[in-house]
Amino acid sequence: MAAVLGVSAYYHDAAAALVVDGQVVAAIQEERLSRIKNDPSLPVRAIEACLRLGGIEGPELDAVVFYEHPYAKLERVMVELVRGFPFTLRQFPRALAGQMGTKLWVLDQLAACCSVPRDRVRFCQHHESHAASAFYASGYDAAAVLTVDGVGEQVTTAIWHGEGRALRCVSEIHYPHSLGLFYAALTAYLGFPVNSGEHEVMGLASYGEPRFVEEVERLISVESDGSFALSLPHFAHHRDPRLPFASSLERLLGPRRARRGGWDLASEGDRRYADVAASLQAVTERVLLGLSARAAEETGEAALCLAGGVALNAVANGRMWEQGTWSRMFVQPAAGDAGGALGAALVGAREEGDPPPAPMRDVALGVPLDVGRGVALAEQLGLRVERVEDPAQVMAQKILEGQVVAQCVGRFEWGPRALGQRSLLAAPSDVALRERINRSVKYREPFRPFAPATLRSTTMFDGVDNDMTPFMTTVCPVRAEAREALAAVTHVDGTARVQTVRPGGALEPLLSTLEGMGHAPVVLNTSLNGAGEPIVASAEDAVAFLVSHAIDGLFLEDVILRRPS
Amino acid sequence: MSHLRTVGDLLRHFLHAQRFFLIPLLLVLFVAGLLLIATQGLSYVAPFVYTLF
Repeated sequence: MAAVLGVSAYYHDAAAALVVDGQVVAAIQEERLSRIKNDPSLPVRAIEACLRLGGIEGPELDAVVFYEHPYAKLERVMVELVRGFPFTLRQFPRALAGQMGTKLWVLDQLAACCSVPRDRVRFCQHHESHAASAFYASGYDAAAVLTVDGVGEQVTTAIWHGEGRALRCVSEIHYPHSLGLFYAALTAYLGFPVNSGEHEVMGLASYGEPRFVEEVERLISVESDGSFALSLPHFAHHRDPRLPFASSLERLLGPRRARRGGWDLASEGDRRYADVAASLQAVTERVLLGLSARAAEETGEAALCLAGGVALNAVANGRMWEQGTWSRMFVQPAAGDAGGALGAALVGAREEGDPPPAPMRDVALGVPLDVGRGVALAEQLGLRVERVEDPAQVMAQKILEGQVVAQCVGRFEWGPRALGQRSLLAAPSDVALRERINRSVKYREPFRPFAPATLRSTTMFDGVDNDMTPFMTTVCPVRAEAREALAAVTHVDGTARVQTVRPGGALEPLLSTLEGMGHAPVVLNTSLNGAGEPIVASAEDAVAFLVSHAIDGLFLEDVILRRPS
Repeated sequence: MSHLRTVGDLLRHFLHAQRFFLIPLLLVLFVAGLLLIATQGLSYVAPFVYTLF
């Protein structure tokens, strides 16, 4: 029995996760506490919070496991710098200064940060961390595991076979051939920031026609065995730190979209970019379906686990599920690099001989809400504070009246999705309300969809009975008869990224109350954060959000806060 | 002391038969990295848009 801390850091989405006696005690992304979106720095705050939640001191840790191999990473960087010379000359100093200045010493820094002897700090492979984060958290006895991201040490894509406590790598694809970097290059081409704009591209894709599939397929060749290779002359991620695609890509697809400027999907120019996004999504799905088929063939399993940044593509996950190859599918809710921290901790726990964790049913693994602190701040700011006996009843009434309210309860979520612990909620039928939230609260593009949260017993969607919908990692078709009632949460392609709420879930009281009042148990649920901000963590963050955004009220558990009338 | 452990592990990694040819480069880069940090020259080199390195 052991206490193991897993850590990811220094690339993007730093995080820490604590596993004690094989069970996940806490998992926290640094951005929630530092309030810096996608914070890559050593997650000192997240580590401290995990240890505090676990009730243990740093020196009591049996192991600290970093999520990737720092020396293999350095080796890959060096080899690529030499291979790409002289094109890599510009990135040479910074890459090496970054490696030599901080990244190489990460194990020493972790030893110092946790006050543990250096020999208790170790590492595992990047894709092994991803695979472990999905397979061990799934609770499946055996499964194929597919890990797809930008790049780890050398591997960009891997198929694993998980059986019991064993995880065996079946096949790999190496850098610079990367589906994650392929998607990133087109994300940059479409004028979105790499590593955070991919969700926007996915939302935009539904508004376009995939009429550039032939051109996009010239960028990536897929073999009959499911493996793929990039057409490297069109890419620059291996030699240019500023732009991940080459000028030949613009010759193929036309000029890139400027980084700034609002979207007008009625204009011919922006419709063309939407068509490129649709083509990119179609080709990405085709590649993933090939990998999925190969994973089934290589492992002979009926269940699939997914992790890596590409696994956050909920639309592609939905396509894989629709194929019927898999009887069960699970996607690690924090599929990106943050999830590597959890995977590293689970690998460490396995090495310590601990039992497997309970299947992940809930992602409320963050710091609990301190309602008292929020109320104290609200009173200092002159906000109206009211404690109510039945917050679900009051909240349901406000939502039915067309108000936009925020809910904060318990520990905050693990991963990029708000699942009721730190959520903005509204009625799912009112399109005007959706526009209001997009324009006046979230300040984001009009094509960004909102998701519905519903009870598992719902009959308004097809195909919700799977292991992904509790975590919003897939999309489901909205039934035709329900589209009017769900107009604000149905994407233009007729799907929705549904969250099914289990008994005891943060949104269950509200949804049950709505059902009891004779309404459909569905709400519009979106993350409680402003543009470019991480999702709210503390009660004080939530009060700050209320003060600075046009919402109608904030529920801190059973306390309602509102602006002065 | 913990830095010595890292240096030892790093050398062991690069002394592997298929990697030893990288050791001279490693030393050059180590010095270059130290110089950039010592002279605060990082702000003069190209910024990274995405962090592959």
